[in-house]
Amino acid sequence: MPEASQQLFNYLIVGGLVFALGTIGFIVRRNLIVMFLCAEMMLQGVSISLVGWGRYHDRLGGQMLVLFMIAVAACEAGVALALIVMLYQKSGKLDVTFWQGVREEGRAAFVDRNVPRELDREDHWPRLTPAGIEPTLDEEAPLHRSRV
Amino acid sequence: MFAIEKLILWIPALPLLAALITALLGPKFLRSTCHIPAIIGIGASFLFSLLLLTEVRREQDAAPPGGFERIVTVWNWANLNDAYEHAEAAQPPRAVPLRIDVVMRIDALTSMMLCMVTSVATLVAVFAAGYMHGDRGYWRFFSYVSLFVFSMTMLVSVSNFALLFVFWEAVGVCSYLLIGFWYEKPEAAAAGKKAFLVNRVGDFGFALALFLIWTTYGTLDFHDSQSVDSIASNATAVAADDSLIAASVANPGTSGVLGKARIASGGYVGGAVGFVICALLLLGACGKSAQFPLHVWLPDAMEGPTPVSALIHAATMVTAGVYMVARCTPLFMASPDAQVLVSCVGGLTALLAGLIALTQWDLKRVLAYSTVSQLGFMFLGLGTGSLAGITAAMFHLFTHAFFKAVLFLGAGSVMHAMGNVIDMRRFGGLRRIMPITYGTFLIGSLALAGVPPLAGFWSKDAVLGAVHDKLHLYEQQIELRHAQGGGAADATTDPARAGIGGLETLTDGQLVCGIQAYGWLYYAATLTAFLTAFYTLRALLLTFHGTERVPHEAHGHAHESPASMTFPLMVLAAAACIAGLFFDQTYNASLPSGQRHSFAAFLASAPQLAAGAVGKTPALDSFHLSVAATSVLVSLAGIGLAMYLYLGDTREVRVLTSLFNLDGVVQSLDVRRVFRWRWVAALDRMARRAGLGLVATVTGYLLGAVLIVVSAPLLVAMYVSPYRLSQRKFYFDELYDWGIVRPLRGFSRLLASADRWLIDSLVNFVGAVPPAIGAVCRRMQTGLVPFYALAMLLAMLLLLASQL
Repeated sequence: MPEASQQLFNYLIVGGLVFALGTIGFIVRRNLIVMFLCAEMMLQGVSISLVGWGRYHDRLGGQMLVLFMIAVAACEAGVALALIVMLYQKSGKLDVTFWQGVREEGRAAFVDRNVPRELDREDHWPRLTPAGIEPTLDEEAPLHRSRV
Repeated sequence: MFAIEKLILWIPALPLLAALITALLGPKFLRSTCHIPAIIGIGASFLFSLLLLTEVRREQDAAPPGGFERIVTVWNWANLNDAYEHAEAAQPPRAVPLRIDVVMRIDALTSMMLCMVTSVATLVAVFAAGYMHGDRGYWRFFSYVSLFVFSMTMLVSVSNFALLFVFWEAVGVCSYLLIGFWYEKPEAAAAGKKAFLVNRVGDFGFALALFLIWTTYGTLDFHDSQSVDSIASNATAVAADDSLIAASVANPGTSGVLGKARIASGGYVGGAVGFVICALLLLGACGKSAQFPLHVWLPDAMEGPTPVSALIHAATMVTAGVYMVARCTPLFMASPDAQVLVSCVGGLTALLAGLIALTQWDLKRVLAYSTVSQLGFMFLGLGTGSLAGITAAMFHLFTHAFFKAVLFLGAGSVMHAMGNVIDMRRFGGLRRIMPITYGTFLIGSLALAGVPPLAGFWSKDAVLGAVHDKLHLYEQQIELRHAQGGGAADATTDPARAGIGGLETLTDGQLVCGIQAYGWLYYAATLTAFLTAFYTLRALLLTFHGTERVPHEAHGHAHESPASMTFPLMVLAAAACIAGLFFDQTYNASLPSGQRHSFAAFLASAPQLAAGAVGKTPALDSFHLSVAATSVLVSLAGIGLAMYLYLGDTREVRVLTSLFNLDGVVQSLDVRRVFRWRWVAALDRMARRAGLGLVATVTGYLLGAVLIVVSAPLLVAMYVSPYRLSQRKFYFDELYDWGIVRPLRGFSRLLASADRWLIDSLVNFVGAVPPAIGAVCRRMQTGLVPFYALAMLLAMLLLLASQL
């Protein structure tokens, strides 16, 4: 195998792996932000393969395309994150299964019965060394602002 | 000189204009003055018709022997090139264009019909202005009447079978609208529907006749059309001359069905095709003119307002069939069998309707059946196929229009006074209350009964005389054949054996059959004349004589009708008095032949009656003293009988009624009477005393069974006694109900259930498939984003796999 092909092969393996990881993550995870990150990862997998092909043909077209993709992905990330923020503000949840409104009328909603119970203990969070001044929390204010 | 081509256009246009004005302005602006445009329009149309008549009279003298006609092409309605590959005998097939022009014709027949229609319509419109006063649908009524007059004037003046059919239907529609004028009344709505549907049967036959004429003759025009170039210029007047006839014969594509060229050359198809054409035309005429199988609609049509009954169902629309048969004379001349059929239908209808009219209690219904009967007379005259018979039939149509309109309008006047009660049992002796109505009704009745010198006598006598002549002609022909000692097989080829009056082509069998038919028909017609006189006088006497009785619906102020109603009555009565005497002078032997019957002589200038086979037949020219004497005698007998029975005590009527109702039979069938006989009861007691009670009972039952079997025919006779038959109109309505309406209704129920269960379930099944598929697919709509993502991925993988 010539070296150029070997190099392309490596690029493609890495790109394919990244894409596959992103796909699997997009399907199995339910957190909106994580799903979004997975989608970005799929995009990066494709970018890697494009860069690999660009090197292989010794042209800058692939890299140029990747730059273009990054710019588009940035915009897309802005829009997607804004949407996620809005959704979060409406419901206080990041769980994608919370948004099932488009399901067929009369069909029972999906309720995940395998949610691991949250631990009661407070001390399972890592304890960090305090630094600065601890802000005083307003007891009246809710943890998040929920508004329609 | 008046441009008669303009006149013929104005005559239908004015009533149409009146109809439009009344329909558009009537409900908002004219309101109770709606009759003014109608009367002006129809009246002006009448004046124009009179002008037309005088012009036709003036011009027909100068006309060539083929008769006088003038064709006015208004515009071209339809033009299909090479519509039909037409093959006539002895000519190569050629492509014929289907060309329908809106063409009017002017000839004697048309102008006479126009005068008759518009004159009666004008008077009826004047009458209706009084009769319909205060009706909610006042504007609607006059709009319909004007529309009807438009349709009828067009019907008699178009010169094309297709247009004839159009206006044939148009008068049918107007009739439907007017019969069902009081559509909120269920009987009126039903009667309108019945009239329309029964007419459909006839119109179906008429349409088939048109198709057959088209395939046989390759044209639907009456007239000979000129070359296409000259037709293109509007309002072409065809001056017929011999060169045109020659040209048309050379090029038969332009000769119309009833055109001069075809009549002159005798190019008519006889045999089976000719007979079928005529029979189908007759079916159409039967529908419109209420003849035997299709006569059931006319008596029910009396549900309409009385002026409508007078206008449509006595004077004008029902004469459309008579007009059409008269117009198609050349076609009927080609088929002697069809003529016999026409006569038979007419004679049978006349007799049947006369019998029914004897026992009706409804004044208008008596008149309706008498109309049917008189129309039968007209068909009888038409069926003789001689010039005398046809002109006599048209003459009867003309005079009948006047005296029947008088009678109907008189009945309307009575209804008006009696608060819409028309049952003759509920009123009587009205002659003092309504003297003018009484006088005019009396004149109309006597005219209808055929008392000389009133109009009905002359025309009825002309028809009877024509039938008598025809019979005589047949007998002469038979004698001639016997004298020549041979069959008729070679009579057509041998000019020496030419017969009389166009009968030479008939076979011996047809002659014998014709003699039988016309013989019976003559007697039937004479009997009908008797019946006519009787029932007419019966209606008159029941209504106007006897003790004075007024129904409570009149609210105690029964009065003579207003002047607008009595004026038309008087005019029509005057016409009924003089119409016969004025035209018919056949008794006057001092006049030259051909002028004695000025009406018939005038009509005979119409091309269809002037030339061809009918021209060779005897004209209405002689006065039949024997026939006239018989009919007068018969009428007087009928009148006398009616006066004997219905003037004063009605004991004889009751006796006659019970006699004809077979009441004796009913009484003899009462089995219980047997036990009242003393010796039977004694025998029964003796048997019981002797211990033979069982035997006596069994014997009694057996005897009863035998009695029932023996008397079964009598039981039937009880239900179809002559009186009942007449009273129930020979059960025609029931017959049609059970024979046609109910089977059809059952059949349509079957079809409806087939539609519901078979067709609908099939459609519903097809409709159920997509929801079934959807029901499966809808389970996939979970609304879960990961699921959609997975589905997308899997589908993508599937697509990729399929590409590999």
